[in-house]
Amino acid sequence: MTEFLAATVRIATPLVFTALGGILSERAGVFAVGLEGMMLAGAFAGVITAFLSGSMAAGVAASVLGGAAMAALVAVATTRFRAEQMVTGLAVNILALGLTSFLLRGLLGRGEAPTIRVSPLSPLPVPGLASVPVIGPLLFRQPVLTYLALAAAVAVFVFLMRTRSGLTLRAVGENPAAVFAGGVDPLRVRMLAVTCGGALAGVGGAVLSLQQVGTFTDAMTNGRGYLALAAIIVGRWMPFGTLLACLLFGAADALQLRVQGLRLPVSSYVIQMTPYVVSLAMLAGFGRTAQLPAAIGTAFARDRPS
Amino acid sequence: MTVGAPASRPRVELAAVRALAPPLLAVLLAFAVTGVLIVAAGKNPVLAYWSLAHGAFGSWDRIAVGLNRATPYALTGVGIALCFRARVINIGGEGQLALGGLAATWVALHMVPAPRPVATLFALGGGVLAGAAWAGLAAGIRLKRGVHEVLATLLLNFVGLLIVSEALQGDLGEPGAGFPQSPLLPNASWLGRLVAGTDLHVGVLIALAAVAVAHVALWRTPFGFRLRILGASAPAAAYAGISPARALVSVMLLSGGLAGLAGAIEVLGVHYRLIDGFAHGFGFNAVAIALLGGLNPLAVLPAGLFFGFLETGAVAMQRAVGVPTPLVAVIQGLTMVFVLSAMGLTAGRRRV
Repeated sequence: MTEFLAATVRIATPLVFTALGGILSERAGVFAVGLEGMMLAGAFAGVITAFLSGSMAAGVAASVLGGAAMAALVAVATTRFRAEQMVTGLAVNILALGLTSFLLRGLLGRGEAPTIRVSPLSPLPVPGLASVPVIGPLLFRQPVLTYLALAAAVAVFVFLMRTRSGLTLRAVGENPAAVFAGGVDPLRVRMLAVTCGGALAGVGGAVLSLQQVGTFTDAMTNGRGYLALAAIIVGRWMPFGTLLACLLFGAADALQLRVQGLRLPVSSYVIQMTPYVVSLAMLAGFGRTAQLPAAIGTAFARDRPS
Repeated sequence: MTVGAPASRPRVELAAVRALAPPLLAVLLAFAVTGVLIVAAGKNPVLAYWSLAHGAFGSWDRIAVGLNRATPYALTGVGIALCFRARVINIGGEGQLALGGLAATWVALHMVPAPRPVATLFALGGGVLAGAAWAGLAAGIRLKRGVHEVLATLLLNFVGLLIVSEALQGDLGEPGAGFPQSPLLPNASWLGRLVAGTDLHVGVLIALAAVAVAHVALWRTPFGFRLRILGASAPAAAYAGISPARALVSVMLLSGGLAGLAGAIEVLGVHYRLIDGFAHGFGFNAVAIALLGGLNPLAVLPAGLFFGFLETGAVAMQRAVGVPTPLVAVIQGLTMVFVLSAMGLTAGRRRV
């Protein structure tokens, strides 16, 4: 059981960072379909930098920059150029997939994929608490990024719900014209929100590459960005709700890995479907009063703000 | 003699230039940016692009492979273009195509023995129905429950792909194959070869026909006119008494059916069996192709060919110059971002 819960936390951690980043973007009114690409860019930049510099801290910093760089592309295209948000996200996912695989071979491997190895971030027990039975190993004997994921959820919640800037960000997602009338540029807010969201998604990628496997493989995010997107829906665009959704998906995935041992009557693929089906059901349940930010998906033009 | 003729011709030419310029510029820009990457990798971009072109068009065999590759792109892209015309953002091509392939496989393996064209037609029909049903499900969720089709189609993609994996693990899988795939389909269900001695299959003609039909439907029928009005202005469409719900359902069924057909053709004409992950990337790239073609069915054809030949040429490029194939995805992704940006800038200034 402890092992199952540990697997749940492990699988959920990259999702938590990525989904929190997506919340920032979507609350500001920009669909976060590009999370997959931002995450992959972060995973790549993180592990390559750590490999070349020998410093894990530099690796994490690079993953922030990698994710933010991908997101900046989305930010500029969807705000300044009013590009369709969902499809721009798809484009960035394709781009990140190609770019990381190409750079891995072209820049570092002279044509072939080189062997990248760093020793993954090791668990950092919290003195005292780590020896508490069950909860100890689960919550207090984790690598540093797992603690940071929890901190990030709190930080995003406080920022969005308890600060003036957070209020402005949410207002841009609901009614950019009103924010514009109030003297704040909604496009600037959106660009910042999307880019910061990408930075968080980049750390989500670093959890995979720096904390869990210690290397980079092509397309290693393997759909986790889309899963994070589903977690945001299930979590109703709220940080703690989304955190729970990530844990739920983590549990489903942990269960899926044990499906043969447990002799469950369903196959692992059916369990893998649940996050998407649950998200659809949640969306369908909200019906026409969906909790989506009102202005999500719409472009804002300063010369015709309506 | 008339004043109108000389005055109107430049306007027509200007419109053509306006329509063609953004996608061409986007492609050129994407090639320029990736050229910088090639230089960064220590290779010669001119040489790389030349070997790419050579790999794509160097022999009849290569051309046949490129045309085969472009077929599902053109079919799926044309359906998506019609959807986007009516502002129905269907990004579910990936799942619709996968289920089309699954249904075609199921029909081919389970139907009573029949001679070739009959067996093939039934299998293709199964693919069309499955793709349309999957898109129809998204349309139903949109209309009945108010979930935006862009989210419904995106999420259903993953469910669709997992259904294929599930089927291959279960009844449809080949026992002891070591890889999730179906047994080889009966010969009678295969798509015929168009040119003996090459891989070119009849699916290419089906794609051509679909593009022609879509062109006529969009520009010459009341159905197409309704789609275009809906896309240009929802209030105008409402004023004209056009039902958005009916248009949504019909255009989704149509594009789902086309994607399903593409999946069936991929199975019956290229692999002759269902392979796990065979649909990978087709659906999302088809969105890029629809956009690159300016949502114009006839222009989707060259856009599909461009992607098809780009992908087949890349393999040769890697072998000849050592520039890795993922570069193609970079070109595709960048092209998409650039076209989307150009479209966003000019939105609202387009004519119906």
